[in-house]
Amino acid sequence: MFAALGTVLAVVLAAVAALLALRWLGSVTDPQQVPPPEAVPVLGGHPPPTHAWSRFHLRYYPMTLVFIAFEMEMMFMYPWAVVYVQEGMKALVEMGMFLGILSLGVLYAWREGALRWQ
Amino acid sequence: MAVRFLTGAAARAPVPVFPVVGGGARDGVEELRLCPGIDVVASPRAATVLLVAGWLPAALRPAAAQVHDQLPHPRATVCWARGDLAAAAETFPAATVVPPDGDVVAVLKRVHRGLVTGERDSEASLLPHEPPSPWKGVGPHGQGGEGMMGGRPYGRPMPMTGPDRDGLALDRLPLRVGPFFPALPAGLVLDVVLQGDVVQEASIAANAFADAAAAAERAAVAPGFGDDPFRRALREPVGVPLLELARAGHHLRWAAATLRLHGLRAAALRTLSLAVGLTSDALPRLAALRRRLERDPTLRWATRGVGRVSAAQLPAGLGGPVARAAGVVRDARLDDPAYADLGFRPVTHDGADAWARFRQRLGEAEQSLRLAQAAQSGAPASVARDRVESPQGELSTASAPSGLLLGLVGDLLAGMEWGDAVATIASLDFDLEAQPAAQVGVTLR
Repeated sequence: MFAALGTVLAVVLAAVAALLALRWLGSVTDPQQVPPPEAVPVLGGHPPPTHAWSRFHLRYYPMTLVFIAFEMEMMFMYPWAVVYVQEGMKALVEMGMFLGILSLGVLYAWREGALRWQ
Repeated sequence: MAVRFLTGAAARAPVPVFPVVGGGARDGVEELRLCPGIDVVASPRAATVLLVAGWLPAALRPAAAQVHDQLPHPRATVCWARGDLAAAAETFPAATVVPPDGDVVAVLKRVHRGLVTGERDSEASLLPHEPPSPWKGVGPHGQGGEGMMGGRPYGRPMPMTGPDRDGLALDRLPLRVGPFFPALPAGLVLDVVLQGDVVQEASIAANAFADAAAAAERAAVAPGFGDDPFRRALREPVGVPLLELARAGHHLRWAAATLRLHGLRAAALRTLSLAVGLTSDALPRLAALRRRLERDPTLRWATRGVGRVSAAQLPAGLGGPVARAAGVVRDARLDDPAYADLGFRPVTHDGADAWARFRQRLGEAEQSLRLAQAAQSGAPASVARDRVESPQGELSTASAPSGLLLGLVGDLLAGMEWGDAVATIASLDFDLEAQPAAQVGVTLR
């Protein structure tokens, strides 16, 4: 009973100590301690009128998605390569069909303009 | 001991200098780039010494103070002053002042060494230590500011949304860039609205070098202004070799700055070292350099099709390399009998884009050296004229080509990516100092 209480007390003390330590670390490394005139982003002499947290159009986004989708299909080639020698011609034809269907997908993405850099 | 060794090594390293370029100091600051012990850096964050060069109009001094405060500690200021030393001392009280003919390189090195070794104290901020928009303790829970989207978190407003070119409603980021933004001409203040890196709107704020107050101030503090050969040719006869060497030098300095902007530092230094102390004997070297630069795939790829100003878009009365790069044969030298004797015919290109303007200026620089060589043997002198062809275009007492070019910027930049916008502004070669006050109201938006 008292041993368990001692453990809880130790945990609470450790947590409080960690909290105080983190608060001290935060106050030492606080970026707000940089004086305001020195913390302004460099624009050549004027402060920015708004925050720079702006949402903008990531134009390579569709290209990234297509790349990830087709790159993941390559994972299927690892087990295939292991059994390829045993299975022989049958495995070659099956993989040829698989890659053929995939390349139709690439052609479709190309036609839809997903690979075009805007 | 190790620390002392490191301190000594740091004190001997090239001095990282950020220049604030005022009136009449552009060439001097450019030439500092050729000095081995000086590293002219592109951001105040990378510098230890702020070099305030030339004459600063009163309207630009608060911006210069802001740039000063953006240098990290330890930092120091050197004023390479022209004219009004008292005003410089007032804005930068702790600065070391060098007269225009003083050895600025030695002073920069001495100040840097003093900072690194600790003999010299770092300068305090010039602006007050108050947040521009207070936020601490504001809000229902004292969390800072109020609201998120459309509110003022941390005391500063959020950007508002607007339609972008892809049909999405995304945030519009308004920025005021300049007057000491290193990628823009000194003194140019550009108001842009960005969505991502696409410029939605652009306009040029008032030119602080050219308003009436600045003109009066300049007459008082920098009487030497206007002594360049082109301005002198409006008042008195100036020899053709002098004019043409000055033109070639200007174009080469411009080419060096453009190359540096596109990240071609070695080519920029080669071009700049050719431009400094240029004589007509440099013609073979210039021709070789021009051949090499025109074959450069990086620059061609970055500037071809960028900032197209077709002959139809040109403002009425605009000549100069920008018009000639669009195929318009217009040159004040065509009316000058001294040039007619030399068989002068203007060089033109027909791309009308930044790449055409680059080739146009290099071609004109080479032609200028040829004209200077030819004029030396016969030595004809151009008479004083009411219109003179300056490197930017037709100059008269009432108007300067930069004034006409500035009016183009707003429409030209809208829809461009930021990198192209900067390249376009560089390709137009503004000289804000040369814009007469009378022209300001007409052309600025």
